[in-house]
Amino acid sequence: MDGKRCSATILIADDEPNICLALKFLLEDHGCDVRCAMDGEEAIQEIQRSPPDLLLLDLAMPKRSGFEVCQTARSDPKLTSMRILVMSAQCQDVAVEKALALGADGFLAKPFSNAQVVEAITSLIDQGQLNYA
Amino acid sequence: MHERLSLRVRFALFFGLIAATIPVVIGIALYLAAQRLDDNPTSQLVLFGGVASFALVGIVAWVAQLFDTHVAAPIVTVGRDLQTLMHANPEHEIHEDDTRYLGILGPTVKEASESMRRLREDVDAKVVEATKSLEEQRLRLETVLRDLNEGVIVCNLDHQVLLYNQQALASLVYDGDLGLGRSIFSVVNRPPFLNTLERLNNRFSSGRYKNHPDGLLVPFVFSTTDGQHVLQGKMSLVVDEEKGQAQSYVLTFSDATKRISSLAKRDRLLRVVVEDFRRPLANLRTSADLLTSSVSVPAEMRDKFESIIAEECAALSDRLEEVTDEYRSIATSTWPMSDVNSANLLSCLTRRYREHPVLRCDVSGEAIWLHCDSNTIVELMDRLVRRALEATGAQVFTVEAASGENRRYLDIVWTGDAIPDGTVQTWLEEEIDHGAGRMTGNDILQHHRSDVWSERIDQGRARLRMPMPDPVVEHTELVNGAPPVRLEFYDFDLLQRGSQSGDLAQRRLRDLTYVVFDTETTGLEPSNGDEMISIAGVRIVNGRVLTGESFDRLINPGRSIPARSTEVHHISEDMVADQPPVEQILPRFRDYVGDSVLVAHNAAFDLRFIELKQELTGVKLDNPVLDTVLLSAIVHDHTDQHTLDAVAERFAIEIPAEKRHTALGDSLATAYVFLKMIDLLEANGITTLEQAQKASEQLVQIRRTQARY
Repeated sequence: MDGKRCSATILIADDEPNICLALKFLLEDHGCDVRCAMDGEEAIQEIQRSPPDLLLLDLAMPKRSGFEVCQTARSDPKLTSMRILVMSAQCQDVAVEKALALGADGFLAKPFSNAQVVEAITSLIDQGQLNYA
Repeated sequence: MHERLSLRVRFALFFGLIAATIPVVIGIALYLAAQRLDDNPTSQLVLFGGVASFALVGIVAWVAQLFDTHVAAPIVTVGRDLQTLMHANPEHEIHEDDTRYLGILGPTVKEASESMRRLREDVDAKVVEATKSLEEQRLRLETVLRDLNEGVIVCNLDHQVLLYNQQALASLVYDGDLGLGRSIFSVVNRPPFLNTLERLNNRFSSGRYKNHPDGLLVPFVFSTTDGQHVLQGKMSLVVDEEKGQAQSYVLTFSDATKRISSLAKRDRLLRVVVEDFRRPLANLRTSADLLTSSVSVPAEMRDKFESIIAEECAALSDRLEEVTDEYRSIATSTWPMSDVNSANLLSCLTRRYREHPVLRCDVSGEAIWLHCDSNTIVELMDRLVRRALEATGAQVFTVEAASGENRRYLDIVWTGDAIPDGTVQTWLEEEIDHGAGRMTGNDILQHHRSDVWSERIDQGRARLRMPMPDPVVEHTELVNGAPPVRLEFYDFDLLQRGSQSGDLAQRRLRDLTYVVFDTETTGLEPSNGDEMISIAGVRIVNGRVLTGESFDRLINPGRSIPARSTEVHHISEDMVADQPPVEQILPRFRDYVGDSVLVAHNAAFDLRFIELKQELTGVKLDNPVLDTVLLSAIVHDHTDQHTLDAVAERFAIEIPAEKRHTALGDSLATAYVFLKMIDLLEANGITTLEQAQKASEQLVQIRRTQARY
């Protein structure tokens, strides 16, 4: 996305309002259409209501964990084109492996820099040939 | 026809021949002398008398030679055969050729040997029957010791090893050699042992052990002689209460090197987090406070503080990443875990469902090693299988262990859909009935730094997958294959025997500790540049060959190996190219030999190679030596066949063709031959080392004298 505008729709699922705010600001600044969900259940409802191009998903969330959201999304045939980028402070190898096994496309360990998150999203967008302006 | 004559007739014929010859010779002499009496009667009588005497001596010598060939030598041979048969080889054949001139003695000896063989077989069968239950108990003890995850060693009060298990061998053998009858101090450092033993002895002699909560047991930490491995264990004293004296001590231990190193690392990381993170946090806090406070900060300074915040955030993130990486490398939690064979673990699990009305659960896949607490893992898997049965409706499950690219797993597989992670998480939050406490599945997983998830796999199947830590020790044996080689790993008779110190020469041959060794070489001339390419040895302790404690090394000779030499021992230049040179191997061999008596077949040859390397290697073997060629010539003086093959055949010792002319194979054959010889030497009145050495020296002297003529 560096130097480019991106028209992808992104759903940020994280129960930390501060990071949601910062990421929404950052990604909107790059031209994305960004929505936020504050727990796992809301995240599932949002992706089912209007599937985003990319789900930026925290693992530790109330109501439904990021793993459950990931697994639910992957069991829905309508959501196969949606990319899932997991971000978590649980950075044990097992958590990464479990997230990938349950259908995540990438993993970002918290804390991360703005550049890292932009690069990770760009890479997934490139793989999924999402919409560029 | 003359072979059918009886021994008495043969004796009569020998003496009859002499008796008949005397008057004939004397008669002829007198007759011839009488014919010439006129010339010079005295000289004629002297001449013919002398001729007659020489003729008589010649005839007596001829008859004596016939007597020796037909009677004396066969009797000696039969005598030796009987000795071999009684003391060394009950299957030994007495050849008819050897007894053909001995009349009834031949068939009688054969018949006696047959009935002795049958008698011995009967006795052996009865002994086997009588000791069957003892043997079963012994096998059970061996199995228990072999499968224990802790190392176990029993020593007498001279610190000689009486028993050890395979785990002890795996944990301790880095620098020295662990073996029956050897000092424990060849593998571990001395001071902690002596201190702990002294504490136990004091506790015992003062009677305090009766009220002490640990009784006669003391936990202690010790290290291997190379100083690289720290072991944590317990020493307990074995005492004879009636006699009021200690007899031996038992050690149980495990390798604590990793655990202790992990604790040290963890301490350091904690210090890093506590101390190193304070500085950047202080910078961050000061700058953030200034920016958010009511203090008026000029724009130029505001930019500076913002860049400080950005820099410190980046530095903190980087440092956190480093600490996280290091934390991951630390061994798992302090929860007690051990290396576990997945086949054992999974069969413990499936055994629970044998009586289950609907659930069928089988083990599949290869067995692998895992590092875990098998009890809690079996409990957790049991919970998961039962919950999966309820949740999926599947009734047939397979459980298996799998190795991935970077990790090992335990899987529960069924035909059907994957289970939602939320459901699995609820199961993991349930308490699990287990003796270790009210643990949940998540607690168990946390101990193993693991997790569980459900995913779809192939052919409409799904699984619950649980990553497991890698084993701590490399397990080389085939867990699904043949059982591990059975070692001779205990000998409580050593309890009654002191260490191999004092006057060796006066000790009984069967009480001594031996190293029987052999070398393979590039040729037969050590003085002309031939070199050793292999050296092997086996130990004999208390009359047993300890096949599990052998020494077997290839040596890089630093020169080519002639093809004709490779044909004999099958060691090629490629095989030794990456092997250590003799200066590395011989010191290890010297440590292996220790204070044992050396035994070899044609020992002078092998010792010469070692001796010529003394300057280079610093190894001088001044241990007593016995040569089985010489000992064979002592106990089997009726034959000059003393090659290893010939001697082994006489004792019915089979050397597999592929082992013959390998240093280890020949060492083993020589060891078994030597054990048989000890019995025969004793039958010949040679019971001590000194007597065996003297008899060998005398034989060498005789041979030298014979060679001179």
